[in-house]
Amino acid sequence: MTPDLSAPGPLAESAAAKLSLAVPCARLSLRARGAAVAPLSAALGLTLPERIGTRASTAAGDTEALRLGPDEWVLHATPAALPGLLAACAALSPEHPHSAVDISGRELTLVLEGPRAAELLTLGMPRDPDSIAPGEGRRTLFDGVSVVLWREADTRFRMDIWHSFAPHLASLLATGCAELAAETA
Amino acid sequence: MSRFRVPGRGRVNPDRPVTFRFDGRPVQGCEGDTVASALLANGIHLMGRSFKYHRPRGAVAAGSEEPNALINTRRGPGRAEPNTRATMQEIWPGLEARPQNCWPRLSFDLGAVNDRAYMLFSAGFYYKTFMWPRSFWDKLYEPVIRAAAGLGVSPSEEDPDTYASRYLHTDVLVVGAGPAGLAAARTAAEAGLRVVLVDEHAEAGGTLLSEPQARIAGLPAWDWLTAELAALKALGVRVMTRTTAIGYYHQNMIGLCQRLTDHLAELPADTPRERMWRLRAARVVLAQGALEKPLVFDGNDRPGVMLAGAAQTYLHRFGVRVGDRPVILTSHDSAWHAAFDLQDAGAKVAAIVDTRAAPPAALAGEAQARGIRVLAGFTATATSGRLRVRSVRVHPVSAGTVGAGEEIACDCLLMSGGWTPSLHLFSHTKGSLAWDEDRTTFLPADTPEDCVIAGAGRGLWGIAATLADGAEKGAEVAASLGRGASAPALPVEGDRTGSGTSHTELATDRSPSRARAFVDFQNDVTAKDLRLAVREGMRSIEHVKRYTTNGMATDQGKMSNINGLNIAADALGRAQPKVGLTTFRPPYTPTSFGAFAGYHRGGHFEVTRRTAIDPLAEAAGAVFEPVGQWRRARYFPRPGEDMDTAVARECRATRTAIGMFDASTLGKIEVVGPDAVEFMNRMYTNPWTKLQPGRCRYGLLLGDDGFIRDDGVIGRLAHDRFHVTTTTGGAARVLNMMEDYLQTEWPELDVWLTSTTEQWSTIALNGPRVAELLRPLVEGVTLTEEAFPHMSVAECTVAGMPARLFRVSFTGETGFEVNVPAPMGPALWQRLAEAGAPLGLTPYGTEAMHVMRAEKGYIIVGQDTDGTVTPADAGLTWAVGKAKPDFVGKRGLARPDLTAPGRRQLVGLLTEDGTTLLEEGAQIVLDPAQPVPMKMVGHVTSAYRSEAAGRPIALALVEGGHGRMGETVHIPMPDRTIAATITGCVFHDPENTRLKLAAPGGDA
Repeated sequence: MTPDLSAPGPLAESAAAKLSLAVPCARLSLRARGAAVAPLSAALGLTLPERIGTRASTAAGDTEALRLGPDEWVLHATPAALPGLLAACAALSPEHPHSAVDISGRELTLVLEGPRAAELLTLGMPRDPDSIAPGEGRRTLFDGVSVVLWREADTRFRMDIWHSFAPHLASLLATGCAELAAETA
Repeated sequence: MSRFRVPGRGRVNPDRPVTFRFDGRPVQGCEGDTVASALLANGIHLMGRSFKYHRPRGAVAAGSEEPNALINTRRGPGRAEPNTRATMQEIWPGLEARPQNCWPRLSFDLGAVNDRAYMLFSAGFYYKTFMWPRSFWDKLYEPVIRAAAGLGVSPSEEDPDTYASRYLHTDVLVVGAGPAGLAAARTAAEAGLRVVLVDEHAEAGGTLLSEPQARIAGLPAWDWLTAELAALKALGVRVMTRTTAIGYYHQNMIGLCQRLTDHLAELPADTPRERMWRLRAARVVLAQGALEKPLVFDGNDRPGVMLAGAAQTYLHRFGVRVGDRPVILTSHDSAWHAAFDLQDAGAKVAAIVDTRAAPPAALAGEAQARGIRVLAGFTATATSGRLRVRSVRVHPVSAGTVGAGEEIACDCLLMSGGWTPSLHLFSHTKGSLAWDEDRTTFLPADTPEDCVIAGAGRGLWGIAATLADGAEKGAEVAASLGRGASAPALPVEGDRTGSGTSHTELATDRSPSRARAFVDFQNDVTAKDLRLAVREGMRSIEHVKRYTTNGMATDQGKMSNINGLNIAADALGRAQPKVGLTTFRPPYTPTSFGAFAGYHRGGHFEVTRRTAIDPLAEAAGAVFEPVGQWRRARYFPRPGEDMDTAVARECRATRTAIGMFDASTLGKIEVVGPDAVEFMNRMYTNPWTKLQPGRCRYGLLLGDDGFIRDDGVIGRLAHDRFHVTTTTGGAARVLNMMEDYLQTEWPELDVWLTSTTEQWSTIALNGPRVAELLRPLVEGVTLTEEAFPHMSVAECTVAGMPARLFRVSFTGETGFEVNVPAPMGPALWQRLAEAGAPLGLTPYGTEAMHVMRAEKGYIIVGQDTDGTVTPADAGLTWAVGKAKPDFVGKRGLARPDLTAPGRRQLVGLLTEDGTTLLEEGAQIVLDPAQPVPMKMVGHVTSAYRSEAAGRPIALALVEGGHGRMGETVHIPMPDRTIAATITGCVFHDPENTRLKLAAPGGDA
């Protein structure tokens, strides 16, 4: 059962969990290290988080950054904010070496929420959901596919995935919504 | 009430009768019964036939170690499973259970003729009997033996059930919910840890379910159990029943198979049949208990001969008296209680036969009080009865001499040879074992995993001892996780502690060579077979095992391994540790393929990646093919067209008008940073320094060894930014290779790699009229030969969409690749299709793409190369920057054998008849008249029918091919030999005149 991914909105829903496709947003892959990080933070209007898995937002709340690796962040922003972000980064080259690549078109975001949303993840995620605190995020695997998880609350997650994997992953998550709801335990 | 059901006993519900079918007849049991307990309640002991001799067999155990009572269970079409243990399968109304390995019927089986000929079927019989003539083995012996062997019949229909899997993380996993496991779980949970407690049975309790006489902390055992389970639940412990820990893998990863619906009459919606849990635990407590050993004597396998502990379980857990007139045959105290309990439940125990001369006086006293005859210091030498045991022959043994025999009538014979700790999961951890001479068994010693063993699994005996040990081990793991815990001692009354001795075969007055004393019931291995294996030269237990098949059945030797070892050690005259114990391997019990497959079946079998444009191709009736993980449109047939016709039409349209192709799967990597050009120089063979922004170059990527790994067109967007394309299948591999070099060899470079494969929908447009199509749609770049020559790239808009426009060609026609953000791909595809329709625009698939690139001699890495092809072999020397100081593969290319003459080189092939299409992969020879085996000098890598060339064309790798232009080679096929001429690789427009862009307003 592959849900229809052609438009944002609910994809599957049960008493246990709800799966939906988020409204598209702008996405930026940002790579930098050492002395370049502080100027980038200043230019972007947020403090690029230091610990892998932690997040930070601009004051206006239109841009959020998640640290994925030793020199890697992913930024989510409103589509309107993206050109400004790209320009701010570009202005720092070449003095502050970095890479800013627009990946808005690469991914989509699934929203998993409901009382058993964390358990829904265990269908395909080898990682312990408890190891991702609300307000944090991680790059991990789901059913063998690389995904980025944002834990918004105890019972709400966003999952960023590359487009081409969406039918496969959404189908398993939809199966899981029904399976979890059918459990009596 | 069934004849052997004992009112007031057992945990089954007598008010809820359940009727199922066994061997075609209805049988009534109670809710809570297993197939075995329900059959026994009706006095049915005969449940199956053995594997080799087809001997009648009944349940010998009451748990998952059961070797005999294997049945086929069925629930309508497709839902059938062979080799199900009748002792584990719960009954439900309508269940169909069938005995296996018998024909025409269970009670009269023709295969039992094997039993009469048993002297022929000794250990290794098939190696000896069926050796000669050699040619008979493959055609006659092996097929017949395979057909006759085996137990159940594999299901032939598709399984309509679904299967699931999940990951689970916990602080403490406790395997086994007997007293030790319950206590460990309680202690760890009270210390504030996350605890999972699993048990393979339908309910938790382990031995407590069979020992209701005990009182724990002042409560009857079952009341205590109920309270304890409630307490565990309140503490948040996840108690999972019907869940088997099948394997213990590295770093405390345990596989759990949970059976969810096999016990249900109605299948609930959205519920898988089984779920495989991949559980990672910080600590594991193995509390799997101990398994009872059978005694080894002639006739120990008749239906009605059963483990004494199993009889206890049938009585107490299921309320079933396994017989009216039992004889107990034992070398361990525990079986005496079976005698007492059965006597108290209305049976008339014929005798307790103990091999020990002086069993404990207290037990003898209890027997006397009940009026049970005791024969101490006795052996058993035979049983009688065809489909059910009728009598047992016993003898006094004095100073090693077997005295006169006495036949004792009975309807069941309950044996106990002592208990063996269950070491299976511990063995999976590569844990070491220590021989315990007193208990004549192996005990767990050290393990590399974070795991401890509690209770009977490490040789302890009795409820009090195992409860205390479980609590202690629970506290131990809690402390190791930084939690304080207390392990309160629980007073236990009515505990049945005890001990015993161990035997090899029981003493007999008959010729041991005629004894049918079974060690492995499932594989029909006797003590005689084991001794024969030793006589014939087997020294290691591993060899004995393979020669006799002892312990190799689906029960993994749960009952036979230790007896087999003791007998082999005795025959070898060596101590057991010197002979060794065979390794236990996962899974602990047979596990369905479905449980292992989980969700990965049908449409979800493996990841299928789809481009954004895929739905449009599907709507257009495209035929798809898998390419790596992707599915790609192969061709777009019109009604009535086969592949060849459709592909020819697509090629023709592209070469005369416009072809449109979804190239989104091409790998794309954005290389960004001040050191981007230096990085490109080091990775690719080509020089990049002089490539100007806005220009493209064909890039060739080698491995260290100098062989071609990947290729693609690379555009320079800015001085510090490249848009790299890779092959579809190579995208992930190339990015990983680049990251490897960047992170381990050149960490000083300020350059970063981002996969942009899926950022872009890429539409390739090729053909003489393509400029006509694009000029009205493109803004930001002038599409003329001067302003935007071949191998250019520009950021612009196409049909109002932000785009990266490449002028490249993989067909030899004027070509563009339009990249727009992936979600816009479908809109662009539709817009181009509409705008191009009047110009003859035709979508084409991968097959036409393959044909057209071959017509131009463009290679496909992985098809025309195979990992042993150098740039020179492929005719791509021009792409190697010889002046560059270094690049990946430069030193590899200098290896003598990579520059030696006679290497296989890529050439074109034209069949001499001008009509024959060669077969890809076909081998090439120079002289077709040479004797077989011929010297093969190469193979065909690509072959297509080509309208543009007017004949079939092919590419091939041929030894010294570049020096053989015009020579004839031969391609031997099964039915004929085809002659072909070696040519260059370009079959169409060798001057590349068609790549040029027509001037605006000019004719195409």
